[in-house]
Amino acid sequence: MGALRLFHDVIDAQLVDRHQEKIGRVDELLLELEEGKPPRVATIVIGGAARARRVGRWMVACHRAVHALFGQHEEHESRVQFEAVRCIADTIELDVEADALDSMHLEQWLATHIICRIPGASGERK
Amino acid sequence: MSGRTVALSDLLGRVVRDADGRKIGRIEELNAEISLEQGRSDYVVTGFSVGHFEPFDVIATGNFVQQLVRRFVRATGYSRYEIPWDWMDLSDPEHPRALRRADELPRFG
Amino acid sequence: MKKWGELALGIVTSIGGFLEVGSIATSAQGGAEFGYQLAWVLLLGTLSLAMLMEMTGRLAAVSKRTYADLLRERFGFRFFVVPLVAVFVVSLLVLMSEIGGVAIALQMASGIDFRWWAIPIALLGWFLLWRGNFSIVEQGTAMLGLVAISFAVGALVLHPTWPTLGRALLPSLPSHDHARYWYLAVAILGASISPYLYLFYSAGAVEDEWTIEHLSVNRVTAGAGNVFGGGLAIAALVTAALVLAPRGIRVEHYEQIALLLATPLGRTGFVLFIATLFVTCFGATLEIVLAMAYLLAQGFGWSWSENLKPGKDARFSTSYSVLILLAALPIALGADPLSLTNISMVLTAASLPVTVVPLLVLMNDGDILSSHVNGWPSNLALVVMGLLSLVLLVAALPLQLLGGG
Repeated sequence: MGALRLFHDVIDAQLVDRHQEKIGRVDELLLELEEGKPPRVATIVIGGAARARRVGRWMVACHRAVHALFGQHEEHESRVQFEAVRCIADTIELDVEADALDSMHLEQWLATHIICRIPGASGERK
Repeated sequence: MSGRTVALSDLLGRVVRDADGRKIGRIEELNAEISLEQGRSDYVVTGFSVGHFEPFDVIATGNFVQQLVRRFVRATGYSRYEIPWDWMDLSDPEHPRALRRADELPRFG
Repeated sequence: MKKWGELALGIVTSIGGFLEVGSIATSAQGGAEFGYQLAWVLLLGTLSLAMLMEMTGRLAAVSKRTYADLLRERFGFRFFVVPLVAVFVVSLLVLMSEIGGVAIALQMASGIDFRWWAIPIALLGWFLLWRGNFSIVEQGTAMLGLVAISFAVGALVLHPTWPTLGRALLPSLPSHDHARYWYLAVAILGASISPYLYLFYSAGAVEDEWTIEHLSVNRVTAGAGNVFGGGLAIAALVTAALVLAPRGIRVEHYEQIALLLATPLGRTGFVLFIATLFVTCFGATLEIVLAMAYLLAQGFGWSWSENLKPGKDARFSTSYSVLILLAALPIALGADPLSLTNISMVLTAASLPVTVVPLLVLMNDGDILSSHVNGWPSNLALVVMGLLSLVLLVAALPLQLLGGG
């Protein structure tokens, strides 16, 4: 974990939680700028309008419109401090629990409503 | 103690000018390292890779494209600047400025 | 020993997987209108697909990530949106065509109008995806897909003139109807080289947990499997040339394509045609739905796998469930399956650059492939395919307008 290339190695990388479960990708990276100090790699942003913002303003408008259909302002976003990074390899492992992340809201909501309704959905592997 | 926050995607691809105001390329990559300071271990940006061929260079790590770029490079005199963090002025993140002239900046490739 | 088993399975999967509604329909139309002449296009399409699949398979085996994963990771989200949208739209159209193919097969078998079959087919497909794991889906449809060998049997029974066929494997210019000829050539290429095929293959390699040890299996599966599959498509073209062309029949309905097997093989042939159409289109339906769900899940970083229970990858399972039912609607509402097929094939051909050109970068990236990067022959082939895809992009719309029956 020596030198890191932020575009090449970090942004858009697959994120996994403590249990190696996929929790999304690095949709944005926030840097802290302070006078006289090197920029600090501060926060990983998952979900929300971050992805849409990278494409353009028009995409953000589409994103908000789609979510408005479901009665929400925009997709739930998670901000994780970069200190939570445990390992950077093919995936970036974060020291978090998937359940604790706001950005996993849709996954959890769908799981609850799917599992309840349709037989054969629960369990680990097929 | 106040710090500003800037998004990585807002920096990538920004045109960088040198101390004389001349356009020297676009930010292609930010290189970071762990810095052990005040008992914390944070990743900090140690330098900026600035170059002209954003699409080629950022993804050129394999033989074929590298060969292509090198041939192209010799033909056009392209090179990449590696600007240390303290020689980059990000007070206006939309218009990054190198604090030295182009010929004083470290080159690569 | 286990390797040989995997090898055989891989070949079988590709044979059954190559032929589907697009290949059947375009090969039949090609043979009916131009005899053997368009065989070279099928050969070109088959070889291109074989190479593209080998490459995306290699990517997955070495980097343990799928092509969709790498498209986002190496090029960033802003670029990724382009192949995401293009593949999604095109695949949805092809998916609708495949469901149409299954529906027509059931109409021919039962006499019940194809529109009534659309939703039941989607529900059956959904059920198999919901309960089945990756092996079951992949191998089940592959085994059943072997019924497509009927086309080879049918062609042989009709005694094709081999020298003429051999000559047709070389590119030739048409003597009549130029616009129609090139339109069908583009449609055949779109039917042969479909992005969902190599995207699915790449995801499948990760589902099956391929490693560097599987590189030779990958080569044989992608190579031999597609060549055999392409052979079946050529058999369909030959049969159409021998059955439909002499009678001056231009294919306007799927029922006419049944003649390809009914003429040489009689009543048995008719049944085999229905079975082939049903199985190959149904298999393609499952593959395309999964490919689209994989693309979404991998692009956005969701958990995904056909080997996980649906509750563990909720966004992924919701995606394929919604997609398969959505795609059944146009057919249920009466869209003409054959027209849908033709349009989707041409659009597929036009969409190729966004999934072929990025491979030129990825297959040469030492960080991803280490020592398994492309050699110069593979790169040369890829450059040629890239240029071909750009030509198709430019030519597709004009040809659709000028030559689309």
